[in-house]
Amino acid sequence: MSHRKINVDQYDDEDAFVDENQTASGPTADSAQVEADVNSRAAEVRNYLSRGDVAGAVAKALENPPAGRALQTVKDRNTATVMEALAAARSTDIINIVKGLSTQQMDILMKYIYRGMGSPELYNSAILLTWHEKATEVGGLGGIVRALTDRKTV
Amino acid sequence: MSNTLRPYLSAVRSTVTAAMCLENFSSQVVERHNKPEVEARVSSEVLLTPVVISRNENEKVLIEGSINSLRISIKVKQADEIERILCHKFTRFLMLRAESFFILRRKPVEGYDISFLVTNHHTETMYKHKLVDFIIQFMEEVDKEISEMKLSLNARARIVAESYLQQFS
Repeated sequence: MSHRKINVDQYDDEDAFVDENQTASGPTADSAQVEADVNSRAAEVRNYLSRGDVAGAVAKALENPPAGRALQTVKDRNTATVMEALAAARSTDIINIVKGLSTQQMDILMKYIYRGMGSPELYNSAILLTWHEKATEVGGLGGIVRALTDRKTV
Repeated sequence: MSNTLRPYLSAVRSTVTAAMCLENFSSQVVERHNKPEVEARVSSEVLLTPVVISRNENEKVLIEGSINSLRISIKVKQADEIERILCHKFTRFLMLRAESFFILRRKPVEGYDISFLVTNHHTETMYKHKLVDFIIQFMEEVDKEISEMKLSLNARARIVAESYLQQFS
């Protein structure tokens, strides 16, 4: 009966479901380039933070996130950069920083908030919960739905 | 510690509300079947990205959505051995009676203590906001319940020990 368990759809090129996460174009196209991007962004974010410009650091960190399944280490490093920027914000400033972000940046922020909460042993969940609360307050449920449905995970 | 409870519950509430957009959806693989896609896992295009909302390492909620079903798995705080036993007994008691809770799953998802499975049938027959309220209320109550049981267990153990040792005085 084992032939019944074979997923025949995967041999069908026309109807096959294409996972954007695996075939994502753009940032995944060249992994060396992406890696360089992520490293330079980390340096820039640290630069912003040392000047005390948290809003600038958050906006910079949320730029052009790497996607695709092959790049897990690069994605983890970019997540660490974003978390560094998010953790630097004082809880009273968060609402103003979130209000200054565009819709695209808000969506990326939401994805990173969920990504950070997914590994509570590495990142402080209390800060991320505050960010989540403010991001939902400003962006509504739309941002959460887009974070849930987007297949380009961070 | 308790100052993270409110944002934790509100994050769970908003995420569950967002994920609870369910509609009737027949299986794409088996004719005339209709099963919760989040459980069946046969067509990956109808599944949503699973998200975790964590308060700390020991307390988190896994929310897995799909087109016609939503699975919510809760990991309850267990600080010591007694709480672990109490939590296990308590969730087991509830899960043995899962049919009276409608959305309760009979087995928890691996790594979590208790799971709920909401399908489109549930959202059609019950109010969505009440379902969300139920889950949030459950999360509030379960912590309270377990710490209360722990207190009464300790009090009882003390009385037993005292009355036992009285015969030697």
